Amino acid sequence: MKRNKSAYLSLPYIIFMVVFTLIPLGVVAYYALTDPATGEFTLDNLMHLSEFLPVLGQSVLYSLVSAVICLILGYPVAYYIAHRGKTAQKILYMLIMLPMCMSFLLRTLAWVGLLQDTGIINNFLDWIGIGRLQLIRTPAAVVLGMVYNYLPYMILPLYSIIVKIDNRLIEAAEDLGCTPAQTFLRVALPLSVPGILSGMTMVFVPAVSTFYISLKLGGPDTVLIGDIIERQFKQANNPNLGAALSLLLMVLVFLCTGLMNRFGGDEEGVVV
Amino acid sequence: MSKELIRLRDLTMEFDGERILDSINLYINDHEFLTLLGPSGCGKTTTLRIIGGFLTPTSGTVTFDGKCINDVPPYDRQINTVFQRYALFPHLNVFDNIAFGLKVAKCPKDEINERVNRMLEIVSLKGYGHRNVASLSGGQQQRVAIARALVNEPKVLLLDEPLAALDLRLRKDMQNELKRIQRETGITFVYVTHDQEEALSMSDTVVVMDKGRIQQIGKPEDIYNEPKNAFVADFIGESNILDGTMLEDFKVKFFGRTFVCVDKGFAPNEPVDVVIRPEDIDIVAPEEGHLVGTVTNITFKGLNYDIIVEFKGFKWLIQSTDYCAVDSTIGIRLNPEDIHIMKKSEYSGMFGDYSSYSAEFDELTEDAADEEE
Repeated sequence: MKRNKSAYLSLPYIIFMVVFTLIPLGVVAYYALTDPATGEFTLDNLMHLSEFLPVLGQSVLYSLVSAVICLILGYPVAYYIAHRGKTAQKILYMLIMLPMCMSFLLRTLAWVGLLQDTGIINNFLDWIGIGRLQLIRTPAAVVLGMVYNYLPYMILPLYSIIVKIDNRLIEAAEDLGCTPAQTFLRVALPLSVPGILSGMTMVFVPAVSTFYISLKLGGPDTVLIGDIIERQFKQANNPNLGAALSLLLMVLVFLCTGLMNRFGGDEEGVVV
Repeated sequence: MSKELIRLRDLTMEFDGERILDSINLYINDHEFLTLLGPSGCGKTTTLRIIGGFLTPTSGTVTFDGKCINDVPPYDRQINTVFQRYALFPHLNVFDNIAFGLKVAKCPKDEINERVNRMLEIVSLKGYGHRNVASLSGGQQQRVAIARALVNEPKVLLLDEPLAALDLRLRKDMQNELKRIQRETGITFVYVTHDQEEALSMSDTVVVMDKGRIQQIGKPEDIYNEPKNAFVADFIGESNILDGTMLEDFKVKFFGRTFVCVDKGFAPNEPVDVVIRPEDIDIVAPEEGHLVGTVTNITFKGLNYDIIVEFKGFKWLIQSTDYCAVDSTIGIRLNPEDIHIMKKSEYSGMFGDYSSYSAEFDELTEDAADEEE
């Protein structure tokens, strides 16, 4: 009886998954395996993928660097928030969430305004006599865009894990002779590994597939796999190759998240 | 015989203007097993946390081996703690949990192996080194927690209700185990519990606390036999507490009758609290009794019957192996050494009346005490 009821309850979700996830995935796979001109089955699209491996490598590199920077910046913030009072925690949590309420495009465009050759920063540098610098269209600008946009995705899972660490474990470590630094390294940090893995995944996955950030903040040398895919659909008008690239990216993302989950061993709480 | 190791002098503790501890003065000797005993919120855990260094007292000093350690952080104290509900590190196995303190102290690897393995033997967990702590039972986790603290060979071991989460049978076993470990290692134990039986059976010295103040310090026998006030008499074991008047030395009057007792040193006609332990009362035929009353309730407790007897509107608890039918009239006799006299205190009149006695009520209050902190 109870079983039947829960099956009914999950029905809308199952329909949603089929219509908006499974069917589109099938369509992507169909495009990836058919010829653009004739519509016949072919492996040509997949054969072409090797040409894009350098771009894919670059995407992975940028996203990993961004994820690591997010971790370095985000961990102290998450740790700080988790150790405030209840009210302060709520306010700080909201402040971290706040930028996410604004459009992703708008946030990236704001950086264009800051970084471009005639932007606010360069105008200021010029005015104080340093002169204009090449800020936009650099790898650093792309990484900056990624870090800025995805930092909350690192802080929130870290916070939610750190806040759950039992304070008595911290006291136990101090009791057993750990200085505050040793307590952190031997107890707090190992116990926040699930949060670290989850945060890394949450930053890496959207960063590796982004195209807008590199489009606006990057230059000709900082093309990412997301840009290439977008181009196949919009300019090159080759959706079949675009679909094949999407499949490749998806496999890569699955591999990466799988690897991270493996890293976590049997630790619970890795949410992707 | 043994020297003083820790002294608490005029310790007070306030949280948000609320006084948790009030002028605590206490010394703890080397090799002693001392228990802080009291109900929820009496300040016993706070006292322990101050000794451990996790709290700084609002005023007063803590000295260790003659030196003030108020500002010494926990990691620099020669004190280890067995936490309530153990606080084992979930990311480490049994061996690494126990080895934690030694690794922090940068002990050589061979020595760590040797000491941890010896410890595993002492707490009867040989061969459990590689087990995940989450896979252990409550009693096993508890022994890991003890081993983790003891392996560092601290001068003092603090134990915060270490047996509270265990079932009765296991608790008894662990009491013996702890006592044995304490005797073998000679480490000073400071033990916190709300279980009076545990306190009496394990300790060299019992410190009874209530409302942030020490009510009585003494050997278990002294605390039981010579309670200082109505609170102690009621908290340690069962007590009938009556209003009485000390006529002169060795003579006390209550229920309109004068009894011979063994206490002295009170002012003539001083009002006092009279304590009579339920197991000290002899039931006799009505015509032979000092007092005559009516049985209103009888409950079988295994070892004895709990009998509630009404004397002139005041109900007493009597523990006896003899069965008495409800509504029957019985007499009781009191020997001089069964009558304990206490000075009047703020607790007078609050305890020792069994008018609202019920067996279930007893269990309820015990459960509530288990959930403290």
